[in-house]
Amino acid sequence: MEHETQERGDALVVILAGEVDLEHSPTAREVLLAAVSHKRKVLVDLAGVEYIDSSGVASLVEAYKIAKNQGQGFALVAVNPAALRVLRLARLDRVFSIFDKLEEAL
Amino acid sequence: MESPDPSAQASEDYREAFELLAKMTQSFATAMDVKTTLDAALASMTELLEADEGSLWLVEPESGEVVCAASVGLHPIDGLRLPPGQGIVGRSVRECACQKVLDVAEDPHFSSLADERSGVVTRSLICSPMAFGDEVLGAVEMVNKRSGDGCFSERDAHLLKVLAYSAGLGIANTRLASAKAENERVRHEMELAAEIQRGLLPEARPSPFPVYGINIPARTVSGDFFDIELLERGRIAFCLGDVSGKGMNAALLMAKTASLYRCLVKSIEKPGELLEQLNAEIFETSTRGMFVTMAAGVYDPATGIASIANAGHEPPLHATVCGQFATIAAEAPPLGILEDCDFLQVDLPLEGGSLILCSDGVTEALLDDGSYLGSDGLQNLARRFSDLPLAERIEAIARETGKLRLRDDLTLLGVSDAERLIESDPAMRLCFPASADQLSAVRKAVGECAGAIGFAGEAACDVVAAVDEACQNIIRHAYGEEGMGEIELEIDRDGDHLVILLRDFAPPIDPSRVKPRELSDLRPGGLGTFLMKELMDSVEFIEPAPGCGNLLRMTKRIPGE
Repeated sequence: MEHETQERGDALVVILAGEVDLEHSPTAREVLLAAVSHKRKVLVDLAGVEYIDSSGVASLVEAYKIAKNQGQGFALVAVNPAALRVLRLARLDRVFSIFDKLEEAL
Repeated sequence: MESPDPSAQASEDYREAFELLAKMTQSFATAMDVKTTLDAALASMTELLEADEGSLWLVEPESGEVVCAASVGLHPIDGLRLPPGQGIVGRSVRECACQKVLDVAEDPHFSSLADERSGVVTRSLICSPMAFGDEVLGAVEMVNKRSGDGCFSERDAHLLKVLAYSAGLGIANTRLASAKAENERVRHEMELAAEIQRGLLPEARPSPFPVYGINIPARTVSGDFFDIELLERGRIAFCLGDVSGKGMNAALLMAKTASLYRCLVKSIEKPGELLEQLNAEIFETSTRGMFVTMAAGVYDPATGIASIANAGHEPPLHATVCGQFATIAAEAPPLGILEDCDFLQVDLPLEGGSLILCSDGVTEALLDDGSYLGSDGLQNLARRFSDLPLAERIEAIARETGKLRLRDDLTLLGVSDAERLIESDPAMRLCFPASADQLSAVRKAVGECAGAIGFAGEAACDVVAAVDEACQNIIRHAYGEEGMGEIELEIDRDGDHLVILLRDFAPPIDPSRVKPRELSDLRPGGLGTFLMKELMDSVEFIEPAPGCGNLLRMTKRIPGE
């Protein structure tokens, strides 16, 4: 798994790529929690995520809940079809705000 | 005419005596028939000492009576018995001392029993004990000197003493020889018994055969046994038993139990029911608190399931393909102790692994430091030889155990499920450490396998994700803080379905606690099981045998079939 956090205007964009599985989800969790700690809008780019498992989804959920409690914006953008299927199965596609393109979310 | 020179006469007497001594010693040394030898020796002594009568007496160890074993004279008195201590003979035996009586009328100890029987009137006699070490074996008595004044001289008494001791030595020698012959006979009979016992064990079948046993008795005969019997539909019944105690009584009970087993297994196929019947039979007739420990089972090569029941025996060992071991504990007391007893049956899927049964002679073999080999030691041996085919593996374990100090019979029996899997050839089998860094490679392998079976695109991804989630559950929850263990994964097709089996070796989890989480509850975690159930058609925990970890089975219909 690869990750990168960028500043885009007033938002932080966390780019995850590769496989967010049990081995790498602890890293993904750290990156996401670090991003939401800045009390800014956080957008998570999942375009390069070919695989995400329940532990990866769980770290998204955890970051989402913190952001929501602090009144920050939190959205997923450009979700890879494989990851989208898992989110749909988990009925989380109705919980997260999901945008096709980063520009739409900014 | 010159009177004979007394010293020349004396040396002539001794020469004759020495010749007789030499002859007697030689004949005793080669004698197998004591009676003939005693008769001949007594006749020579009687002649040399110029006595009317001679008799040789032996002490009967049980009663202490002395019995006439040989006699020379007008009327033989062979078989005559004197109560302990009675008569001059009795006194000679009791005191282990030579007796010389010049006139029996003046010796109150004299017993007239022999005279009454022989019709001879005893006037004078000499009697010498025969001894061997501390044991007085009997005595030799000479009655009425024919020459001279009719009395025995001091020299006669000396001669008799020497001759009697030589005869004693001869008798002791022949007794040892016959005891040795008796030992030999018993040993021969033990060997015949051992041969019959070996006949009760099954003959090895041409390999590869999924069941193999070996028995090495500690003595000639054995209290251990095993059996392997073919049942209908290719199933194989097997058992391994150990009779309490050692030696002939254990061997006889072993023969009885083995015969009963072979008879009953033809009609009772369920191991638990079979042990119940055996128990009832043995309880009815066993004596002296003897009992039998026994593990019995039936292996079905079509399914790989071994059904096992255990009557107080060493727990059978299940060796998995991953090299993990689990013991199947004894659930019931040994046979022959309780009149009515249920014997629980466990159905254990061997899943390509094997089952090892042994007698306590194996686990209680002594290592150099005086400790037992134990179940751990047996596991180490089984692991060391796990690459060998079954028969060679069992032989190798027995050989290594045989190098230790053995205190009991050594019996081993193995059941291997490896052949079945070679024949059935599942689409995929993987064995890997339960660790997160393994999962990427596992997903790749599962993806390829699902593709080969007929899954493509999203459907293939679903199978991969379900296996991944199941592995995560094992890593995070089953093993958890306990550290790393192994995961066995098998994928196969069953008709139009894909079947996934996942096994771990962690302490059993309660399947009812593995529930999908409530989706409205937005907590991290708890999502995996829910996803598995969404991704697959069926997800179920199969109740494993005790101590055998957890087994998860998932199925999904193959697209387009």
